[in-house]
Amino acid sequence: MTADANNLKVIKEISRRDILFSVVALNETEVFVGSSDSKVHRLNTEDDKAEASELSGHTSYVTGLERVGDRLVSAAYDGKLKWWDLEKKTEIRSVDAHAKWIRRTALSHNGKQLATVSDDMVCRVWDAVNGKCVHELKGHQTVTPNHFPSMLYCCAFSQDDRFLATADRIGHVVVWDLRSGKEVEAIETPEMYTWDPKARIHSIGGVRSLAFSPDGKQLVIGGMGHVGNIDHLGGKARFEIFDWEKGELLHQVTDDSYKGLTERLVFHPSGKWFIAAGGDHSGFVKCVDATTGETITDSKAPSHVHDIRLENEQGKLFTVGHGKIMIWQL
Amino acid sequence: MSKRRNWFCGSDEHRISRRGFLSTAAATAGSMSALNLLREPTLAAELKKQDKRVILLWLAGGASQLETWDPKPGRPTGGPFAAIPTSVPGIHISELMPKMAQRMEDTAIIRSLNTKDGSHGGGARMMHLGRRDEATVKFPDLGAVLARELGSVDSKVPDNVSFYTATEGRGNAVGQAGFLGARYLPMSLTTNSKPDDLARLESISELDHKQRHDLRELLSNRFIEYRHSDSLRSHNEAYSRVRGLMASDKLFDISEEPQSIRDRYGPSLFAEQCLIARRLAEAGTPFVKVSRAWWDSHGQNFETHLELVSELDHVMSTLLDDLKQRGLLKKTMVITLAEFGRTPKINGSLGRDHFASAWSCSLSGCGINGGMVYGATDEDGQTVKDGEIDAGDLFATIYEALGIDPHTEYYVGSRPIPLVHEEASAVTEVLA
Repeated sequence: MTADANNLKVIKEISRRDILFSVVALNETEVFVGSSDSKVHRLNTEDDKAEASELSGHTSYVTGLERVGDRLVSAAYDGKLKWWDLEKKTEIRSVDAHAKWIRRTALSHNGKQLATVSDDMVCRVWDAVNGKCVHELKGHQTVTPNHFPSMLYCCAFSQDDRFLATADRIGHVVVWDLRSGKEVEAIETPEMYTWDPKARIHSIGGVRSLAFSPDGKQLVIGGMGHVGNIDHLGGKARFEIFDWEKGELLHQVTDDSYKGLTERLVFHPSGKWFIAAGGDHSGFVKCVDATTGETITDSKAPSHVHDIRLENEQGKLFTVGHGKIMIWQL
Repeated sequence: MSKRRNWFCGSDEHRISRRGFLSTAAATAGSMSALNLLREPTLAAELKKQDKRVILLWLAGGASQLETWDPKPGRPTGGPFAAIPTSVPGIHISELMPKMAQRMEDTAIIRSLNTKDGSHGGGARMMHLGRRDEATVKFPDLGAVLARELGSVDSKVPDNVSFYTATEGRGNAVGQAGFLGARYLPMSLTTNSKPDDLARLESISELDHKQRHDLRELLSNRFIEYRHSDSLRSHNEAYSRVRGLMASDKLFDISEEPQSIRDRYGPSLFAEQCLIARRLAEAGTPFVKVSRAWWDSHGQNFETHLELVSELDHVMSTLLDDLKQRGLLKKTMVITLAEFGRTPKINGSLGRDHFASAWSCSLSGCGINGGMVYGATDEDGQTVKDGEIDAGDLFATIYEALGIDPHTEYYVGSRPIPLVHEEASAVTEVLA
């Protein structure tokens, strides 16, 4: 049973005491989650108690998890990338990948390259197997136009793994050609930079998620729209769909139902629809028609969603967030 | 270390004897005006000669103690930032403050404030007045007291200046002279960093302006000679300071500073206002409050603090360096303070909420025993476990460090009003 956007519903909810920032599936019943306790936990989602066993070695929030063959790679706010032997449950390699927080990882579709983005405003592309740095992509500004530290939040590979998109706090998105390591396109999404010059003199927001369509033509960019009160995540969840090669905005969607950040975007392999998830104090998951930008189905989540993982063949979606693991039927 | 020793026993006898003594003393003051200081004039003059100043960095909205002065790395409440060692062995602060970490010698951190009021308005009043409001008395705030205690009547510069140029929380930014009178109200800058109406109108020549001033003064002095009115005197005093204040116009103009100094502070509004604060302090202004809004991080606390603490770290360290290089730090106290701290518990928006039970502030420079931490919270930062103090104790400490007896009393009519509430006492460990 492959995923169908019309079937979206929660089938299991597991409560946790920690905050979960990343998830990857090991098989139909087991997942790894990256936690605010600086550890990677392995859980059996069919076990009623869902007890965790852990891999430890990071010193801050674990924000990225990727499976590379029979190994797991984790990334954290401590700037380190770690490779884990899953059978022995041991760390086999640790790389000082970035000078500041690693915000996100992305694994190429062929499983050979791993991208990391960090608040040092550098994107590095690694050989996912041997841990050697393949590209160092620099182009995002280190400070915002208002002289504050910027943040490089997210990255995504194109389906053919030729292009990599990266996006930052001020709504600047860059598409890189990984053959040359050069910037080939830049897109601006200024609505997602929530700088408030008068009431609060600071900002929240930024571009938090990216996804290429499977045919490589569309790039969906997610964040939060205009917000009046940035004490809270009070803006409407937002995403913009671009024909990125033309630099043409196809759809901009501000969600009337859900507030907060669009933290994750994942295309269905068909390319007809994608999943957007995130939230403010609470969370949301929605399936969106990629042609029209209209919602197909959506659902409130019990907590802010920080990461999702679509297992298409199982028709399952795993989401993790603030104190929760959710398993969805699609 | 447990709860600090309190020299006021709290008994009625103690309270009555203090008041009785003061009432008698007040009666002997005879012709003193309704509000007066019970102290020798020569002592007051001596204090003012010491030429002390305060720059208050008001972190409006409530900065997180966990992302500044009291990090809890590795705890569920600690958040993602690490703690870093400082130049003083044994003291660690948030990694967001690497510059201040290298300059801890002049700074005392207080980690044990329990001020109980977690509302913006109430907390801000508490931390401006050093005590709870009373229905029958309008207390002066810290700036007004220091303008009175440290300022000079004939000063050519403003003695109480307050920057609050953001709009959020401005209503909570107390600027209250209370029973001290309007003379000690702050010069409030709310829309930009320079007073709008300080410059002489171009249509009036300097000579005309001086002659008008002299005539007004002559008439006013004659008028007041046969009357007894505090408000008239206050009015007259204010006018007499106008020309001095006008001459201070340039203090607000940072283009008068070398570019290298401006570059050191940086381009942000907070940085520019702190540079002006240094200029004012250097010129003799006893109290400047630079309010930096808005720290109210119910959502995305860590992003907010990454922005704002990074700025605070840079600007505060630059300010301390600048004051030190000019020989001003020994007579200038720099305070970081807010209405409260933020909850150890991280909420669903990765935010922290209001928290007044166990939070931090810092005191640097004048009269302060730098390079030390006073008080402690538990391992998760939920409660004060050592050296709990309240707003009154903090204010007593500030006054004592400035050479002002915190138990000095003002008189409002026949009622003695101490500078701090009666149970308050200075934290002696923090004093140099």
